Amino acid sequence: MSYHYNEAFENPDYHFSETLEIDRRRSSQKNLFSHQTPYDSSLHGSYGEQSGRGQNYPLEIPMASMRHGSEYSEDLPRANVLSRSPYGSSMYNPSFEPEPELAYTSPPAFHPLDRSYTHRISNVSEDSFIRRRSRRPPDEIFMTSSSLFEIDPVRKEELLYYYPKIWICHGFYAEEDLVGNLASMSTSERIKAIQKMPETMKKKREIRNKVLKEITKKSRHHSTQLSCCTQCLQGTAVSFRRFGNSLSECFHLLWFWHRALKIIGAKFGTSVLSYFIFLKWLLTFNIFSFLINFSFITIPQFVAAEPNNLSFTGLELFTGAGYFQQTVLYYGFYTNATISKIENGPSYNMRLAYIFTVGLYFVICFFILLFSMAKSFCRNFLNLQTYSGNASKLLCTWDFNITNEKAVKLKQKNLSTQIKEDLTEVNREVLNFSVKERAVRIVIHLVSWIASLGTAVAACAGVYFLSINNLKLFVKGNKNDLESQAAMLVLPIAASLLNAFIPFFYSWLGCLERYQTPGHHVYVTIVRNIVLKISIVGILCYYWVNIVAESESQCWETLIGQDIYRLVLVDFIFCLLGSFFGEFLRRIIGTTVCVSLGPPEFDIGRNVLDLIYAQTLTWIGILFSPLLPGIQFISFSIVFYVKKVSLMMNCQPPRKVWKTAQMTTSFMFLLFFPSFVGVLCVIGVTVWRLKPSEECGPFRGLSSMYTAVSEWIKMLENHTASKWVVWIYHNLITSALFFFILSIIALIITYLCWKIIQGRKTTIKLLRKQIINRCSSLYDPPRQPAQHVPDYPGAAFDRNQNASYEELWSQAVIIDYAPGVCPGGGDSAPAKTRPLEQGPFATKGLLVFCWPLRASHNGGDDSSHERAGQKLVEGMTYT
Amino acid sequence: MLGVDKNLVELFYRYRDLAPQLVPLDYTDKPAVTLPYELIGSMPELKDNPFRQRIAEVFSEDGDGNMTLDDFLDMFSVLSEMAPRDLKAYYAFKIYDFNNDDYICKSDLEKTVNKLTRNELTPEEVNLVCEKVIYEADVDNDGKLSLEDFQHMIIRAPDFLSTFHIRI
Repeated sequence: MSYHYNEAFENPDYHFSETLEIDRRRSSQKNLFSHQTPYDSSLHGSYGEQSGRGQNYPLEIPMASMRHGSEYSEDLPRANVLSRSPYGSSMYNPSFEPEPELAYTSPPAFHPLDRSYTHRISNVSEDSFIRRRSRRPPDEIFMTSSSLFEIDPVRKEELLYYYPKIWICHGFYAEEDLVGNLASMSTSERIKAIQKMPETMKKKREIRNKVLKEITKKSRHHSTQLSCCTQCLQGTAVSFRRFGNSLSECFHLLWFWHRALKIIGAKFGTSVLSYFIFLKWLLTFNIFSFLINFSFITIPQFVAAEPNNLSFTGLELFTGAGYFQQTVLYYGFYTNATISKIENGPSYNMRLAYIFTVGLYFVICFFILLFSMAKSFCRNFLNLQTYSGNASKLLCTWDFNITNEKAVKLKQKNLSTQIKEDLTEVNREVLNFSVKERAVRIVIHLVSWIASLGTAVAACAGVYFLSINNLKLFVKGNKNDLESQAAMLVLPIAASLLNAFIPFFYSWLGCLERYQTPGHHVYVTIVRNIVLKISIVGILCYYWVNIVAESESQCWETLIGQDIYRLVLVDFIFCLLGSFFGEFLRRIIGTTVCVSLGPPEFDIGRNVLDLIYAQTLTWIGILFSPLLPGIQFISFSIVFYVKKVSLMMNCQPPRKVWKTAQMTTSFMFLLFFPSFVGVLCVIGVTVWRLKPSEECGPFRGLSSMYTAVSEWIKMLENHTASKWVVWIYHNLITSALFFFILSIIALIITYLCWKIIQGRKTTIKLLRKQIINRCSSLYDPPRQPAQHVPDYPGAAFDRNQNASYEELWSQAVIIDYAPGVCPGGGDSAPAKTRPLEQGPFATKGLLVFCWPLRASHNGGDDSSHERAGQKLVEGMTYT
Repeated sequence: MLGVDKNLVELFYRYRDLAPQLVPLDYTDKPAVTLPYELIGSMPELKDNPFRQRIAEVFSEDGDGNMTLDDFLDMFSVLSEMAPRDLKAYYAFKIYDFNNDDYICKSDLEKTVNKLTRNELTPEEVNLVCEKVIYEADVDNDGKLSLEDFQHMIIRAPDFLSTFHIRI
């Protein structure tokens, strides 16, 4: 059961559709097309009490006695209601009719598509809307429905069939229904549905209480003996929720983040904020991995620790060598023994702990990344063809986060200049380059791409030779003299220098290229930077895997761990220096020496790429230095502080409109795709292919790290109790066939999904085309008012057309709106189509969101939905 | 919407801080306290927001921006991170619908533009922008934006979710 409360019932056309008006008129005027069914007053008895304004119509039952002291008496002009709104006076509309009867008793010659009539309707709806918003007591809110109750029962049934939403939202009956529906949902669904209602807190509370009452009634009814099992379950659920609440309160203790984020958002808007949110996300990610590694690898190691006899001088903090070699920081220190404190007691196999912790960590990481990426994608790339135009710029860009006065002014100024620019752009024709100009542009693009790739290659070559040099130093020994220690820092410093300065070169290149859109420029620059960073990391990985691992050093894993430690540390220092020189000095220059420059803007793209680079290094390092996430956590916290202070002191809010949501998604994607996947490859090679060093680390003496697992399995084969582990290992994990089948299934599903998406896309396109056609045919030619609504010979056709338009529109919106829950898909109840020869519609969007209707009224036949689909397809082929 | 009780408590204190002498600490017997718009609009979160008056009006029970605690909670729950997109879109639509006529018509858009740009555009420019907006976003071609048009537009502006959000 899906309850799409949200979009639907605000639409005034629901309750003021043409059909309703006609129906009212029928009942009041008893004209030639009124129904002959005898009036059944018994049906109204139960609803009579909602009549707020029922007296306005000729009534069969006396309504006056049932008024709840409503201030809306029959002679109260509507204008009174309108003046309640602050804009009451400005709202005066010449076509406004204070008494609805005027509309209904107006000359019989009107046509459903008569424009002025539509206009009146919108006024009526306006009225009801204000009432609703002005939170009148329910008896007045439901006046719409009350007026419907005068319709004879058959009509009402019919109406109920076609406009269930009206009944849901407006009326006692409807509310009962709604409560019933809500009661039948699961708890989380119900909470969601209630949350989605655009109602006041009071009303929601009321509904919730009713629902709860209903549920208790039902449960008492159904099962008088509430089993202790369910009680137990409920108890655990409640305590679990409490636990969750207290946990989140604990997280709230990180009040610092919250305040900082609020201040940043207030001053700089969401775009800069997104950088900090990304940083915070990485921080929590690192805490998590640190906790995992610390508790499963390091704490057991402490139990079996050997004394460290190396001296500590202080310089080790920078190089990560010397004293630290014999600490839990590096792989080499961990024992290969099975730790057991008590004789014959439970033991802890360090090898297995190491490999499983790291392996599981990566699996968890993979899923977290995948899910957050997918979530971000489906949230932000719902529709790829985003509005580039003014509409969203105007109505969706105001950043409600910004609360700083200066920032607000600046934002307003930027917006106005942007709008001005856009307006001038409209007048400018699309630049048509001559062949020569185009050739020149292409050559420029080519040259700059060659230049950027060339620099990347050169940087990689430089890093490679430096690292080879570095290795020679290690192998030679004499590690303790200062010179060689300093030499160790050459490689990370060079890498960080390259990372810091080549981006400037790239952005200069981008300026030379003069892209037509700034977005293009940003993306090209980001792609180049990513290529640079990833190739530097790649060449380092090649060096570690192919050269360090093959070297005759004592413990190559520790060497790699040290290398990574230094890289992380120097990168961190450069980040701090970058915010000093890049932002602080730049601000000094911009405000004193060269005033035209102004204070710098915060470069979100570059900063995020730095974070991604640092995180990649951490991931690679986890295997070689399990506590690296802890170090990275500390450095990220400091970066957070420093960046925040530097931002507050030095920067100004960005001038460009930055497509934050999409950028965040692409950053997430970058973190996943080259970065995390690359790391997985490196780790995979290390675990499966490389031979661990002979004299250190938990895997000493094995041919590869993975052998630890296969040996363990071999050992397990002797125990009958753990046969299933062996079975899983042999048949699932090491079996190529299983993975083959798995990947085939995945491919098939992907292909199917892809096809479905394509189908939906074409449907949307066609529907949109048809809407445009329909709209132009509906609105462009001035319509002649017809003589008699139902007798008008063309009416059926006209209505037909109109109705199918409504359907198409609703379909288009729904498909577009929620591709995952298309009509009838998922949890939505079977949809209903309106028999086309029934009452005409004049206003659009009537059937919109009527799709997920309650099943109770049509007995839940699925075929109606299919019929709708068929009609739709026919309609499409028609054009 | 305010999943965490802590938020509720926090919001209550924020509400109370606006007028400690008016708002009692004890809400068990549901006192009918309404804070005037002047106080609500002076909150740091709203103080500089060009739409502050509209926001207060839309969420207040009396439509004039005077708020009870419930209204206040309503407002911040819609503007919170957890509020669903549709709910946000609905209220954003109400905020931009200055004359409460259920459509964002040209006059509403003009008001919006003037608020967004602090009256820096000439009337012709404003006019042009509004026309463009209606031309772009008006799917059903009736010359004004209905809630569906607006929602349709919101889907294509993914930033909306993060920007229509006030941190407490």
